[in-house]
Amino acid sequence: MIGYVLRRLMSICVTFFVVSVLLFVMMHAIPGGPFDAVEMPLDDAVKAKIMARYGLDQPLYVQYLKYMWGVLHFDFGIPYQSPGETVLELLGRAWIPSLVLGGAGVLIGAPLGIALGLVAALHRNSWVDYVASVISTLGLTVPVFVTSMLLILVFAVWLNWLPASGWGEPKKWILPIVAYAAIPMATYARYTRSAMLDTLNKPFVTVLRAKGLPERKIIFQHVLRNSAIPMVTVFLPMFIGTATGSIFVEAMFRVPGLGAYFVSSIETRDYPLEMALVLMITVMFCLAYFLADIAYALLNPRIRLGGRSSK
Amino acid sequence: MTQESSAIKSAKPIESIDNMLAPRNPMYYAWRRFIANRAAIASGSVLSLIILMAILAPLITPTSYEEQKFLTENLAFPSASHWFGVDDLGRDFYTRIVYGARISLSIGFVAAAFSVVIGLPLGAVAGYYGGTADWLIMRIIEIFSVVPPLLAALLLAALAGGGFGNIVLIAALFGWVQVCLLVRGQVMAFRNREFIRASQALGASPLFVIFRHLIPNSISPVIVGFVQAIPLAMMLEAGLSFLGVGIAPPTPSWGQMINIGINFMFFYWHLALFPTMALAVTVLTTTLFGDGLRDALDPTLKG
Repeated sequence: MIGYVLRRLMSICVTFFVVSVLLFVMMHAIPGGPFDAVEMPLDDAVKAKIMARYGLDQPLYVQYLKYMWGVLHFDFGIPYQSPGETVLELLGRAWIPSLVLGGAGVLIGAPLGIALGLVAALHRNSWVDYVASVISTLGLTVPVFVTSMLLILVFAVWLNWLPASGWGEPKKWILPIVAYAAIPMATYARYTRSAMLDTLNKPFVTVLRAKGLPERKIIFQHVLRNSAIPMVTVFLPMFIGTATGSIFVEAMFRVPGLGAYFVSSIETRDYPLEMALVLMITVMFCLAYFLADIAYALLNPRIRLGGRSSK
Repeated sequence: MTQESSAIKSAKPIESIDNMLAPRNPMYYAWRRFIANRAAIASGSVLSLIILMAILAPLITPTSYEEQKFLTENLAFPSASHWFGVDDLGRDFYTRIVYGARISLSIGFVAAAFSVVIGLPLGAVAGYYGGTADWLIMRIIEIFSVVPPLLAALLLAALAGGGFGNIVLIAALFGWVQVCLLVRGQVMAFRNREFIRASQALGASPLFVIFRHLIPNSISPVIVGFVQAIPLAMMLEAGLSFLGVGIAPPTPSWGQMINIGINFMFFYWHLALFPTMALAVTVLTTTLFGDGLRDALDPTLKG
């Protein structure tokens, strides 16, 4: 187990390194620099001075090494588009809306999905099952900006019940949270249903029924528990994926979260911010998958971790 | 009652297998399973209709997609003469939606084809050789699984520029992973079968075994991977065009139209609604069709 953990951590470090190099090279390969302006271009001398100030005049590998040295000390540099703060401060500020909305979306969507999948599995082939499968299919296939657009059109434009966009008052949070909740709900409904049906067919359930255990106890104490393993393991990656904000949801609902910076950091060649955003998400996904695998092994003793990192 | 009868109906072909003297072609059973899947049949029909509309676009639309013929009727609501209204630049919106299907579908299909071109050989090599080759390919896939595809796609689109060809390549770059994993699984399952061993014993080279035996036996996962890559590519294209780095105007793309639609949605809702619905219906039917195909071709792949 310890060997496995160490190997996985090593592989995360390698992934981090590869992604950082690829990203750095790709980012700098994009034509144009952060201080090139089409209208009102900077004076050459001024521009050279600014470039020197940010170390952009040095060879690429020096820039890379310097940046990574900083990253190892949790110094992610200064975003060119808002030089009054550090990248970390900017991320901390912009992440809050994404975290609140996306986090709420997962925390609301996942239990709803589990409930839906549970009911669907218990009433297989009934209308509940049918509705659940329609919801989960729609949630998993329809792109999130389509969902957002329909939510805005129906609830904000036609029914005029809720504000369409913005941040600030909680009333404005409802629609984006619903938009975020769609994917976790759909995923969990599908997982729960198939895992439950799988477990319900196991012989031990028949034994429990034969010994006269009340159906309620069978479902909640045995079947649900035994089907919970995949649900636990998908939670963390899903949470990371949602709580880092979606570019589309935030663009649709005009939320001042991380989403806008993904686009603007590329558009304005804001190298430090771009690096920090992608590396941060990459590392969080790596750790999320890693923890999910560990949790999987701890919850299911039949799984033995080993070999060359599973999956 | 209806459930029972449908259960019996669907059980029929399996019963008849035992009764038959000569086994039928496996495709026969795949076909029987597929036509029993009502969702797949329905979405397949809708999808063929959309494909037909895309192919026949010039015949079924009143103008060309870039002609600003109706400037006097700017932003007109849907009516008998303009089914989906007129857009902000005086163009018939129905025409633009229909031509948008061309972009979306062609990017979906071409990108899926490229995904197979990349994923199939890599999956076959990883599955057949195992060991270092497999390890290396799996590490590459691992990197693809932790980097958010949209971010990487944005970066690539900024690097290479948008446009049809680049969007297709970017979509294929993220679409091959699934094909590769499916093929790898299939090849690994077949690698140690007797007929492979026999072929190897007769002196067949690895390349011959892969092309003559393993790839033909992976045709089901390849078809499944191909069809499942289509909606992903369409969504990626729509997403990039929505963000303004995909297909450049005046070529109509649904993602681009949705982005413009946001600005008008509070009053001219038709500019937001129709591209959204077109994208949703196309992605949904393609996915359901792909799922139906997967269940029909290889029921064990169901994940």
